[in-house]
Amino acid sequence: MGTVDSLLLGFSVALQPDVLWYAFLGCLVGTIVGVLPGIGPLSGISILLPATFGLDTTKSVVMLAGIYYGSQYGGSTTSILMRIPGEAASVMTCIDGYAMAQKGRAGAALCIAAVGSWIAGTFGVIMLTLIAPPLATFALRFGPPEYTALLVLGLIFLAYMSSTSLPRTLLMACFGLLLGTVGIDNMTGHFRYSFDIAELGDGIGIVPVAIGLFGLGEILSTPSANVVGKVIAPKLRELLPSRAEWRQSAMPIARGSILGFLIGLTPGSAHIISSFLSYGVERRLSKHPEEFGKGAVAGVAGPESANNAASTGAFVPMLALGLPTGPITAVLIAALMIHGVPPGPTLVNEHPNIFWGFVASMYVGNLMLLALNLPLVGIFVNVLRIPYAYLYPLVIMFCIIGVYEVSHSIVDVWIMLIMGVVGYGLRKFGLDPAPLVLGLVIAPTFEMSLRQSLIMSNGNWAIFFQRPIALVLLGVCAVLLGLAALSLIRSRKDWRSELAEAEAGENP
Amino acid sequence: MTLHSDHIAGGIFVVFGLLIFALSGDLPFGSLSFPGAGMMPKLVAGFLIMFALLLILRGNESAPVATLSWGDFPHAVRVVAITAVAIALYQTLGFPITMALLLFALTFGTERRNPFVAAGFSLGTIALTYLLFTVALKTPLERGILGY
Repeated sequence: MGTVDSLLLGFSVALQPDVLWYAFLGCLVGTIVGVLPGIGPLSGISILLPATFGLDTTKSVVMLAGIYYGSQYGGSTTSILMRIPGEAASVMTCIDGYAMAQKGRAGAALCIAAVGSWIAGTFGVIMLTLIAPPLATFALRFGPPEYTALLVLGLIFLAYMSSTSLPRTLLMACFGLLLGTVGIDNMTGHFRYSFDIAELGDGIGIVPVAIGLFGLGEILSTPSANVVGKVIAPKLRELLPSRAEWRQSAMPIARGSILGFLIGLTPGSAHIISSFLSYGVERRLSKHPEEFGKGAVAGVAGPESANNAASTGAFVPMLALGLPTGPITAVLIAALMIHGVPPGPTLVNEHPNIFWGFVASMYVGNLMLLALNLPLVGIFVNVLRIPYAYLYPLVIMFCIIGVYEVSHSIVDVWIMLIMGVVGYGLRKFGLDPAPLVLGLVIAPTFEMSLRQSLIMSNGNWAIFFQRPIALVLLGVCAVLLGLAALSLIRSRKDWRSELAEAEAGENP
Repeated sequence: MTLHSDHIAGGIFVVFGLLIFALSGDLPFGSLSFPGAGMMPKLVAGFLIMFALLLILRGNESAPVATLSWGDFPHAVRVVAITAVAIALYQTLGFPITMALLLFALTFGTERRNPFVAAGFSLGTIALTYLLFTVALKTPLERGILGY
């Protein structure tokens, strides 16, 4: 079956009224999640995960993915209107978006952000349509050594791309890998670090760890006294940008879409990194770099397009290889597996209805988001009027329900609380929790493929250098490590240190 | 010598790595041709200690411990304590009672909001959430000893 026929099959699934309804629900919740500061897409997806147990696989994945890319749209609203990023990827939009709002161009900034997000999101889905199936076919050639090399590359790439230092990122990844070894060893049946707690036999789940680190951890380090914000409410007639603003945003949207999609394919917080990089690129290419920070249209159009394209790009390795590039795709993989559908090379061929239905729903979802985000912006702004003192207790309640309902295990809820405290501590010491979650997610696959490789080669580590695909992947690892070491020796300030400074709140 | 945040963080992870080695005593490392259940944890714990030591070595580049802001600590302690009590009671008292108490404790106890508003907010939220999950989403929430 060709791509067009497959896509038609996908649309026949995605345009069914009930699938459309769940896509709409996901987009709506995603937009609200994006609008609300302190609740990220990860918390939103995790909290709603149990609610999808009664649905079929297509509907549940369509809804959960809608929350993810919907949050990227919604995140710009608070950035532009309040200078508070509703979602981490919208940090850069705060700078010029809020400056535009102060000049009375809030509506135009919101419109450019929404249209840019739609173009980038649709571009991302087109690329996903074209790239994912051949990549999945290619991945069928992967054996345990190739998977081991690929996962090592993922970790090294994450460390290289991270705004914190290489040892810090790898330290966190090791912490995650160690947490991933808890439970029964699949190859020998040994119980590891389960301390006679039956629930720990199945290992530590992704959901309690992710919600604890990102949801609860954020709340613990944000007292309500620190949350203040004045909302600028734009009128509907102010939403249309001028002709000059459209012209200024065209190329940044195009560049942001391409850059975002490419970065989205790589492990790490791609949607966050892509918006920072896009902002840097636009400022460098601009004929008027001095306007950045004072309401430059390109400073809104580029980053907003990039983070949407990146969130779509992240679905390529997830669907084609079964590899999560970050905690959000990891939870989506968990959702697929709960429904008995393993993501990866077999998904495209053995479950075409789910794969193509999901892809087609993203075309529709992006249109829905455009319709939702422009005319209804006034309604979403009202959500921001809920005082934080009432909002965070609600989030804690949904965190507890979300974690408990996954497997009705109170041990998981305790793990969430412990990870919340760990997340608070990590923030205090400037350690990024994202590599920890990635380490936890890949730990079982990594251990299994490493041990299988060694069994295949009778204990000879040279197996990783004798197979061409594994050799190429490890070669890329060596290059990345070399580059990281070089910048360390030269102590030169590169884009990653600039990113770290910007994330820390200094001037980008 | 000024103590920096990375010295503390690195030290904690070195201790954690050593603890993993201590707890892995019974797990067989196996051989290279047939790795055992202890191979992966011990390898990773080794790397963890290595990266933690690197963090300590480069610790002077991080912020001095004395400059870390702990203004949010009392808020964090209160939220953790209230959440811990709610988790401990969740299976016994069930969703409606435990979560109503949690919301009330956080909004009135921690945030010092008007007690009547806090009570109304807690009860209203619980009623809406209960209806949303039980009726709309068909996902029954935890029932306590009182049967609801």
